[in-house]
Amino acid sequence: MSIVNLTSEGGKPVSFVDEVIASGAMKDIYVSPDKTYVVGFFRDTQDATLKERLREITTRYRSNLFDKDSGDFWKDYFCWPTDTVEHNGRIGVVVPFYASDFFFQYGSVKDDMLKIRGKDKEGKWFASASNREKFLDPREKGNWLTHLQICLSISRAVRRLHMAGLAHSDLSYKNVLVDPTKGKACLIDIDGLVVPGKFAPDVVGTPDFIAPEVIATQHLDREDPARVLPSRTTDRHALAVLIYMYLFFRHPLRGRKVHDPDATRDEELSMGERALFIEHPTDDSNRVRPEDLRPQSLPWGDPAQRPYTMAGPLLTELFDRAFIAGLHAPEKRPSAAEWESALVRTMDMIQPCSAGCDMGWFVFDNSRAPVCPHCGTAYRGKLPVLNLYSSRTKGSFHADNHRVMVWDGQSLFPWHVNRTIFPNEHLTAAQKKRVGYFQMHEGDWYLVNEAMPGMKNVSTGQDIAIGDPVKLEEGLQILLSAEEGGRLIQVQMAGV
Amino acid sequence: MRRLPVYLLLDTSTSMRGEAINAVRDGLDLLVSTLRQDPYALETAYLSVITFDTSASQVVPLTELTEFQAPDIDANGATSLGEALSLVANCIDREVHKSDMDTKGDWKPLVFLMTDGAPTDSWEKGLAAFKAAKPGLVVCCAAGPRADTKVLEAISEIVVTLDTADSATIASFFKWVSASITTSSRKIDQNRNDVDGVDELPPTPAGVNLTKS
Repeated sequence: MSIVNLTSEGGKPVSFVDEVIASGAMKDIYVSPDKTYVVGFFRDTQDATLKERLREITTRYRSNLFDKDSGDFWKDYFCWPTDTVEHNGRIGVVVPFYASDFFFQYGSVKDDMLKIRGKDKEGKWFASASNREKFLDPREKGNWLTHLQICLSISRAVRRLHMAGLAHSDLSYKNVLVDPTKGKACLIDIDGLVVPGKFAPDVVGTPDFIAPEVIATQHLDREDPARVLPSRTTDRHALAVLIYMYLFFRHPLRGRKVHDPDATRDEELSMGERALFIEHPTDDSNRVRPEDLRPQSLPWGDPAQRPYTMAGPLLTELFDRAFIAGLHAPEKRPSAAEWESALVRTMDMIQPCSAGCDMGWFVFDNSRAPVCPHCGTAYRGKLPVLNLYSSRTKGSFHADNHRVMVWDGQSLFPWHVNRTIFPNEHLTAAQKKRVGYFQMHEGDWYLVNEAMPGMKNVSTGQDIAIGDPVKLEEGLQILLSAEEGGRLIQVQMAGV
Repeated sequence: MRRLPVYLLLDTSTSMRGEAINAVRDGLDLLVSTLRQDPYALETAYLSVITFDTSASQVVPLTELTEFQAPDIDANGATSLGEALSLVANCIDREVHKSDMDTKGDWKPLVFLMTDGAPTDSWEKGLAAFKAAKPGLVVCCAAGPRADTKVLEAISEIVVTLDTADSATIASFFKWVSASITTSSRKIDQNRNDVDGVDELPPTPAGVNLTKS
């Protein structure tokens, strides 16, 4: 097979094997001889706007993201095009190969019967209950905590794009690689970025993720003012669908309701103008009928067995806004930043299954005797719950709608100590360090102060010095920091 | 759960003997193994194979991808295309679930027809039955220069011609078939008056030429 050698727009040597390895809606993909990058050539005749857009993406937008203080932070979140080339009248983008975590190590069951070992971990493998159940090697599946982490990674990456004024325009499980074993995600296909008023979208998106208003107006001409095209608002819909699918392994709008006997028309209506949440609280006409599912899709395919509310109150509220209030009112959809914040706080409310079942983790449901919703095992042992409050004006504390479950391996970090700190790309090295940990001793839980100089037992008025433990008991109040934004925790005891 | 039924109608007449029929066997294997690696197809696509020579027969009924067993295919006999069309119409009526107001049925079936010659039976009657079965996207493939494209154009607006019926080109065709069964991003400007589904077809590889009438 012949090798093509070129010099990129950025003046670097670029080579690829002259054989298409994959084709998308817009591009043909070729791979470099050393398999460290790919070159994607746009099939349609190049125009000035495409060239300009790719140049901006590979230079200015890229530099804004990666050449800053927090630049390193984002390297794992995006597979960003680095350069452009021209060959035989076509324009191409140079994109680095994905990290090895995004290729199957074990693949499918029965010694990889499907021969997917070494293939990329397309999200659909993990977003479908039956694919997970029937085909994936258990070592590939991760657990419910890693799935929450995947959702956090995606939300973060989308939030960063949106912050820069960019829309991805084609978020889907094809364009988001995930690694459930480590809880990571990476956005790919960045070359379709949409900039309002500057760069229009090429694609309407991928089925399952296209916003209802885009589908409902797709018959109109591109220039028609009523036509809705991909934007940050439609990205918000796609993001909510991705999160729902990675947590519940089913699609939020695919239920029983038939809108038209013609399958194509029915699809258009059920994903478009008549889209209806399968778990809508009052309209039950699109409920999933378990008999319609393959047996391997259960229990996740049936919302009655795994309702979305199991993701806890913070995510439930956002799903309500995305699929009830905001499904046909795009301005009401939660932003990526809101998902990020809710996911961070939800991950503090997660607790391990006492039986160590496959899903392994669940969100505390505020009951005294929590039961793992995945396997039905009751939580064994004492379970302290820390309710976080923070000072807004001196001396008065407000509930932060943030709880931290105490279990073996849980820690306190600066973002628990002070409400003005948030775990994101702006954390300093010092802020990434643990400041407290929890330890079980003779049947009681203790919080050990590692690096909280102002820690104080409010109940007794005593300071808790660095290195000292405090026993966690019902009603105990501990001030973690006396500084502005410092938090007070109130202990609630659950479990038995 | 909507299934995507896929019917492959393959010419197994004497003229396909040799390299062509071997390439079809390999192509089928390639198609199935590629689709098994696609999580969307794996969940949705069901495959059936109908061969036609002196008569037509459904050698593989509509089957889930993981259950699919490659059929024994030999090239021998005439080209009963009309009978194949009647048979696939019959299979669609029998195997594809229709929607009613209470239950979602299957997607409209995709039909890929491959032939290297001209029909030896009266194909018009078969065509009428085929159209009445309301298939979804229908792609006719003229494998090599001897195929009667006029007949194929009467069957579908979408005809692909293979420059030659050699193993490389037939392999490319089957690869393209597998790509057209999987899902991908949709372009903004779909010509909505166009043939149902043709916009969603992937670009054809070298040696495989797509014509839309």
